[in-house]
Amino acid sequence: MNERSQFEERARALFHDSVDWMDYALRSRLTQARVAALEAASAGRRPWFARLGVWTPAGGVTAAAVLGAFLWLGSPTSHQAVTVAADGQTNLEDLDIVASSDGNTDAMDMLQDDIEFYDWADRTAGAGSPAST
Amino acid sequence: MPAFATLNRAFKVWDGPAPAPEEAVLEYTKELEKFLAEIERRAFRMAQVALRDPDDAMDVVQDAMLKLARNYASRPSAEWRPLFYRILENGIRDLQRRRTVRKRFMVWLPGPKEDPENQAQDPLENVADSSPAIPETLMQGQAMEKLETSLRALPRRQREAFMLRNFEGMDVAETAAAMGCSEGSVKTHYSRAVHALREQLGEVW
Repeated sequence: MNERSQFEERARALFHDSVDWMDYALRSRLTQARVAALEAASAGRRPWFARLGVWTPAGGVTAAAVLGAFLWLGSPTSHQAVTVAADGQTNLEDLDIVASSDGNTDAMDMLQDDIEFYDWADRTAGAGSPAST
Repeated sequence: MPAFATLNRAFKVWDGPAPAPEEAVLEYTKELEKFLAEIERRAFRMAQVALRDPDDAMDVVQDAMLKLARNYASRPSAEWRPLFYRILENGIRDLQRRRTVRKRFMVWLPGPKEDPENQAQDPLENVADSSPAIPETLMQGQAMEKLETSLRALPRRQREAFMLRNFEGMDVAETAAAMGCSEGSVKTHYSRAVHALREQLGEVW
């Protein structure tokens, strides 16, 4: 064995001794790392529907939170019943419209009901006296 | 009945000796675990030689294990070793690059600017030990520390070639596959590494 080979053999022996002297804490961590890597790899090979199980609880919680937020923000208490003008006073025109819009007294409803009468009156006024028609 | 006869023939077509895919996966997973258990300590020590920090070395080894298991487990087992070390060396190189970038940014931040390379050198290492009888294991430990320091001073490709050829015992072809270069380059890197190490360590070592 020549000098160069002795050098290489010594380096190799020292390295393998240092591997053999490795403490148990490091060995244990390596074993844990190996097991974790193999488990993660086998989990990655599972089909997509098998991996859904992991996300089901998180998905349920998220859906419940979104639904709760929707119901809270969409509830009637979150809207203002009466509009308020920029100067802080109640807009009285809005109040009039709301107050006058009960059932039969609505002006637009009246127009809808008697549309034929108003049409006839308009044509009659344009043609002359009502007796001529 | 003719319909049943047709079904029977169909079953016979699919009834073969080949194992189910799940069984095959289990089989190579067991083999892979055996391979990793056999190689992990040496891989860790080699990563530690390159990176010095045991936590970084552990992270790089685990990442290499994960990538091998996830991407190459179905490859022939003869290819695992060069593939594993190629992944490992890539991880070491990436971490060293990140460290370099981090070090550049740290220069601009306030605080003590100490060079970790100089900081790690213990001045007591140069003091002559006057103890009458040094245990053999301690001497070997010191010799290994000197070898590690010299290996870190080598160019990256030379260090890779030396560790894969000498520590891991790979042949030239396997080392070339792990390093992603030609066999001629491996021989060149290895012989230069041995020459440089012998010059650095000298006769005392």
